[in-house]
Amino acid sequence: MQTGNAIEVSHVTKSFKVFLDKGNTIKERALFRSRRRYEYRQVLRGISFRVERGEAVGLIGQNGCGKSTTLKLLTKILYPDSGAIEIRGRVSSLIELGAGFHPDLSGRENIYINAAIFGLSKKEIDTRLDDIIAFSELEEYIDNPVRTYSSGMYMRLAFSVAINVDADVLLIDEILAVGDANFQAKCFQKLKEIKAGGTTIVIVSHSLGQIEQICERSIWIHEGAVKEAGKPREVHPVYLDYMGKKRECIAQKEAARIAEKEKNSANPKKQEPSGEQNDTVFEHNSKRWGNGKARIIRIELLDKNKKKKALFETETDITVKLDYKIYETVLDAVVGIGIFRSDGVYCYGTNTRLDKMEKYDLEKDGTVEIILKNIVLMPGSYTLDLAIESETGIPVDYWREAAVLELYSTKDDVGLVRVAHEWNFILK
Amino acid sequence: MKILREIYAYRQMIFSLIKRDLRGRYKGSFLGFLWTFLNPLFQLIVYTIVFSNIMRAGYEDYYLFLFVALIPWIFFSTSVIGGASCIWAQKDMVNKIYFPREVLPIAHVTCQLVNMLLSFLVVFAVILVTGYGINPAAVFYLPVIIFVEYLLALGLTMLASAVTVFLRDIEYILGILMMAWQFLSPVMYGVDIVPEEVRPVFAVNPMTPVLAAYRDIFYYKKIPDIGTLVRAVMFGAVVLIIGVLVFEYLKKHFSEEM
Repeated sequence: MQTGNAIEVSHVTKSFKVFLDKGNTIKERALFRSRRRYEYRQVLRGISFRVERGEAVGLIGQNGCGKSTTLKLLTKILYPDSGAIEIRGRVSSLIELGAGFHPDLSGRENIYINAAIFGLSKKEIDTRLDDIIAFSELEEYIDNPVRTYSSGMYMRLAFSVAINVDADVLLIDEILAVGDANFQAKCFQKLKEIKAGGTTIVIVSHSLGQIEQICERSIWIHEGAVKEAGKPREVHPVYLDYMGKKRECIAQKEAARIAEKEKNSANPKKQEPSGEQNDTVFEHNSKRWGNGKARIIRIELLDKNKKKKALFETETDITVKLDYKIYETVLDAVVGIGIFRSDGVYCYGTNTRLDKMEKYDLEKDGTVEIILKNIVLMPGSYTLDLAIESETGIPVDYWREAAVLELYSTKDDVGLVRVAHEWNFILK
Repeated sequence: MKILREIYAYRQMIFSLIKRDLRGRYKGSFLGFLWTFLNPLFQLIVYTIVFSNIMRAGYEDYYLFLFVALIPWIFFSTSVIGGASCIWAQKDMVNKIYFPREVLPIAHVTCQLVNMLLSFLVVFAVILVTGYGINPAAVFYLPVIIFVEYLLALGLTMLASAVTVFLRDIEYILGILMMAWQFLSPVMYGVDIVPEEVRPVFAVNPMTPVLAAYRDIFYYKKIPDIGTLVRAVMFGAVVLIIGVLVFEYLKKHFSEEM
C-alpha cells in the first residue's frame, strides 16, 4: 500500500448468487436441489480506485451499479471474490444507525451499547459521552427509555453516536436525511469539521449537491467498474447527461406505450355524448388526469440552438416544447407549467391566464413553446408539471412530472436560485 | 493473532451484549435478578426430594452427585443449543455493520458461563449449610476445569452458529442431539455403572473428563487426577480449533447468506 493512501481497491470482483427459490433447510437442500436454482449476478467487475488520506470521495451511479456493494466491501461486511482491498486505520460506517439499540434501556445506556458495537472501549465512550449527548440535543430525555423517543429523536441519538466515533475512515451511505432541517445542517457542519480534522470520507449518495459540497472527488461507478473519476464539477455534468439521455430513452418508450394504449381506447371515448365531457375522465392516475378533450403528446426540452437535451447549464435559456392533439374543441384554453425540485420544493409555476395572455380556443392540433429565459435555478434535478386546462380551471390534461430537467453549473454557490448580485468593498 | 487483537478492541461490545442479556432475562418479573439464584436452588431442592424419597439412586447424597455435574452440563448445552442461532438472530446487525463476528458466540457463551458461576454460588452455600464439607486443595483446580469447559463450549458454539447460518435445521437437530449426548455423558450416573460395551463412547466423549473433574472436586472432595485433566484440555483445544477454523472460513459469507 502506498503511503498517503487510506484506501486501495484493486481489481475487485463480486458476484452474488441470486436464488430463484431459496430454501435453507436440509429438506430443501437435499430433496429439491433443482429447486434451489440460482444464477450468478456479477455486481462488481474489476473495480479499482484509491483514496488518499484526508480525502473525501463521493461514489455516484445509478441504482444497482455496485456502489453500495463497494461500500459494504469497504466495511468488511462482504468480502471480494477476487482482488484486494486495503484500508489503513479505524473504519466507522454510517450505514446502519442505531445498531443494537434496546428499546427498554435508557438513551444513555444505549449510547454505551451502540458505541461498543463501533469498537469503542468504555473509557473512550466515557470521554465522548458529553459530546454525544450534547450533539443529539436530547439532554432532557437521555435517561428515558428509548422506546419513548420519537423516530426523529431516535435517529438523532444514533447519528450522534456514529459521528463521534473518531474514525480514520468514515463510510457514509445516504445518511444526511436525519432529523429536521436544522439537525441536518448541523450534521453537515459536523462532517465538514471531521473532514477538516483529517478523516478520510467515502460517501454514497444520490444527492450530487451534497457530494459537491463535501467531496474533492467523485467516482462514477457504472456496471461494476469505475467509469469516470475526477472533480465533482467535471464528473457530475457527464453523469447527469448520461442519466438524462437514459431517461429520455425510457420516456420515449413510455410515450409509445401510452400512445398505443390511447389508440386502443381513445376512439370509443370520443363518441361519448358531448354534454358531460367535463366529467369523463379518460385516465385517472396519480401522475396524469383530465377530461381528455386534448392531450399532450410530446414534450421536448431544447436549448438556445433548438437542440434536444436533458441537461442544461444554469443561467441559459430553455425551451419547453409541447405538442398537443385535439379531440374536441377546448374553449378558453389555459396552458400551465410548474417546476419542482427533486425533493418536492415547488420552485415556480405560471400559466397563460396568470400571464394575462389573450384568450384562445384550441381547435386543431398544435404546439406550444414556453421559453424559460435565463433560468436561475441552482444545479440539481427538477421535474416539470405541464397542463392544459379550460377556462374554468377544469383540467383537460394535467401531467405531473411530465418531464425531467437537470441543471448544472460551474460555480459552487448554494441555495435554491441564483440571485443576481455584485460585491462592493468600501474602504474607509 | 490479528483476530485476537480485534476481539480485544471490541471487548466493550462483548460486555454490553452480556449485560443486555443478563438484565433482559428476568426483566419484568417481580423478583428480577434474584431468580438467577432461586432457579438453581429450587431445582436442587426438587432433586433432593425426588432422589432421596421417590427414586433412590445407588449413590450416597445423590442430589449433590447429580447437581455438581448437571450445572456444568446445563452451561454446556444451553451454550450450544442457544448459541446455534446467535448469529442468525442478529442478522440485521451482521448485515449492516462490521464487527468481529466472533464477538457474538463469545458473548453468548460467556453469558451462560456467568449464569453457571452464579449457580455454583448456590452449590457452595448448600455445601456449607449442610456441612457436607469441602476440600480447598481440590477447589483450587476448579478455575482450570471451568476454563477448559468454556473452550469446549465456545468451540462447539462457534461451529454450530456458523453452520446454522447456512443450514437452519442445525438449531433444531442440536436440541435432540444434546439430549442424547446428555445420556452418553456422566451426568446422571458415573461411568462405573455404564455397561462395558458402551464405555468406548464415553471414552471419546469430550464431556466425560470435564464432568468427572467437577464431580471429583465437589462430590468426592479430591484433586482430579492428572490424566483426566490432560484429556479434558486436549479435547477442549481440539474442539476449539475446529470451531475457530470453520468459523473463520464461513464468516466471510454470513452477510450474503442472510
